[in-house]
Amino acid sequence: MTAITADRLGKTFTTRVRPSGRFSAARALFKPELRQVEAVKGVSFEVEEGELVAFLGPNGAGKSTTIKMLMGILQPSEGAARVLGLDPTRDRVELSRYVGAVFGQKSQLWFHLPPSDSFRLLGAIYEIDEDDRKWREAELVERFGLAPYMDVPVRKLSLGERIRCEIAASLLPSPLVLFLDEPTIGLDIVAKREIRQLLAEAARIDDTTIFLTSHDMGDIEKVCKRAIIIHHGEVVIDESMKDLRHRALALKYVGVRYALPVNLDLPGLSPVKRTALAASYEVDTRKHSLAEVVRALASRGELEDITIEDEPLENVIASIYATKSGTEAQAFGSQRGKREAGSGELLHA
Amino acid sequence: MRRRPSSLRKYAIAASTAMSERIAYPGNFAGSMFTYALFVFIFSRVWAGAYAGTTEIAGYTMSMAVWYFIIAEIPSFGFGRFFWTLSRDMKSGQVAYLLARPYDFIWYNFAEKLGGSLIEAGIILVEGLAVGFALIGLPPAIASQYPVGFASFALETARLGFLIVSLLLAGALNYFLQMAIAMTAFWLEENEAFYWIFQKFALVVGTLIPIEFLPEKAARIAVWTPFPYLSYAPARIAVAFSLAEAWSLVARQALWVVLALALAKVVFASGSRRLSVNGG
Repeated sequence: MTAITADRLGKTFTTRVRPSGRFSAARALFKPELRQVEAVKGVSFEVEEGELVAFLGPNGAGKSTTIKMLMGILQPSEGAARVLGLDPTRDRVELSRYVGAVFGQKSQLWFHLPPSDSFRLLGAIYEIDEDDRKWREAELVERFGLAPYMDVPVRKLSLGERIRCEIAASLLPSPLVLFLDEPTIGLDIVAKREIRQLLAEAARIDDTTIFLTSHDMGDIEKVCKRAIIIHHGEVVIDESMKDLRHRALALKYVGVRYALPVNLDLPGLSPVKRTALAASYEVDTRKHSLAEVVRALASRGELEDITIEDEPLENVIASIYATKSGTEAQAFGSQRGKREAGSGELLHA
Repeated sequence: MRRRPSSLRKYAIAASTAMSERIAYPGNFAGSMFTYALFVFIFSRVWAGAYAGTTEIAGYTMSMAVWYFIIAEIPSFGFGRFFWTLSRDMKSGQVAYLLARPYDFIWYNFAEKLGGSLIEAGIILVEGLAVGFALIGLPPAIASQYPVGFASFALETARLGFLIVSLLLAGALNYFLQMAIAMTAFWLEENEAFYWIFQKFALVVGTLIPIEFLPEKAARIAVWTPFPYLSYAPARIAVAFSLAEAWSLVARQALWVVLALALAKVVFASGSRRLSVNGG
């Protein structure tokens, strides 16, 4: 069953522009210059119940705006959304009973009070039976390892500990859909890893639909099964993580180090970095056979070391982000995909 | 998970949670307690100067004027900061969390903000009674024609009861008006000027001086505005109590609370559709 539907969803904000020139501030008082900013342009997608979706995009792409429209906090300027069969704008309060949210840069916990007080209040807000609330809280405390923090004022918790409490608090009413807006922002590697594990576990145990925005590729790779990339307010890529990862797998980084200096140039392939004894190559496996490249390199001289690495997923996404418009990004995405079908040019050492 | 729909429980727990947070740092009260005591002391000296050579101004003795100021300042100190917290929540984008919850936004914030403020208002009230007693003695007696006994006791009890109800209504009126002003942030990036004007009117019309001290025309207009019901009503009940006037003041306060609530609801209904949350 479909949990989230965005149908040509768009949001345009009107902002004031300060005119330039003399007495500009005074003139702006009487005749303000307004500019329309299209934060989200006709975004369409569907998310099935229990799916784990990464919603990606550079800063200002429209991710948070889309999430807020899906939660009913912002009213769309065009198009429509349905979440769990409800219209978020019209049924915001009803929808909020079944939807949770974690905004990494905001807090829903009371700063000077221990998390247990916030959990009690959230239980009351969501009208959870008190015995059930205690049972659910105990379950989350155990699963998230929160026992040492539940009676410590939130201000005394580290960021990682606080975010764990925030996510557990959002799961208290057992939401059917959980929106996470950069939940691991500012966390160290260990804390990030813990949060990712807990999110994946929460989705598995509670069968919660996860809709996650993050700039951290680790979050996306470890937690999500599908990626929607939004850029310049438009959806430019919507595919499974497997396919997205496959784009990255097409490019390999091969590094070699020789015992003695050799000719490092291969026909049709030049090193991207080189020293007298070492070089690294960017090999597009859709053009060159990796096995042949390795054989060619091995035949050049005595190899001391050889490494083969995948292109980081981050690079693929960064190149999509680097495009200037949504259409360009879409074209770039499909171009990368099509290249897979291209014939490989044989390399002869 | 079983849900137990209860319209009041969430608001009661929001109020008690806000109270717990407020008392988490007792030191937080020190600043406002010191400022309040300083204001009362300065005004008692100002009135001592004003009353030199006269025993009564506009029906108020010096003791009444000082006690008036002591009570009138309680709503300012106890309930005067809703605007800043509400405005901060809206400008910081924290409102995104607050809006996505199954409750009535206006009443939930009312419970949370007023609940937290009650502790501060209570502390200021106790401090005011102590400082007033030290500076000028007991508050003016209600009616000297009543001998000490049951009638006098009943009236003193009624005065205390009306005073507490009036202070609570002043808190509610303060909240709804400040909420309505804070929610202009749905349209405007800077809305502090509105609050500044509101605060100054509230100060002049009934907080610093009783409205009887204003020029007659100004006083006649003032009673048709909400400002006297923010601090004049409880202060008047405290220093010049009569059952008839107390009923009238409390009824007018209640009416203004309803009007301010309606205003806040209208501003919220219209403004939340125009919300543009900061940072996305």
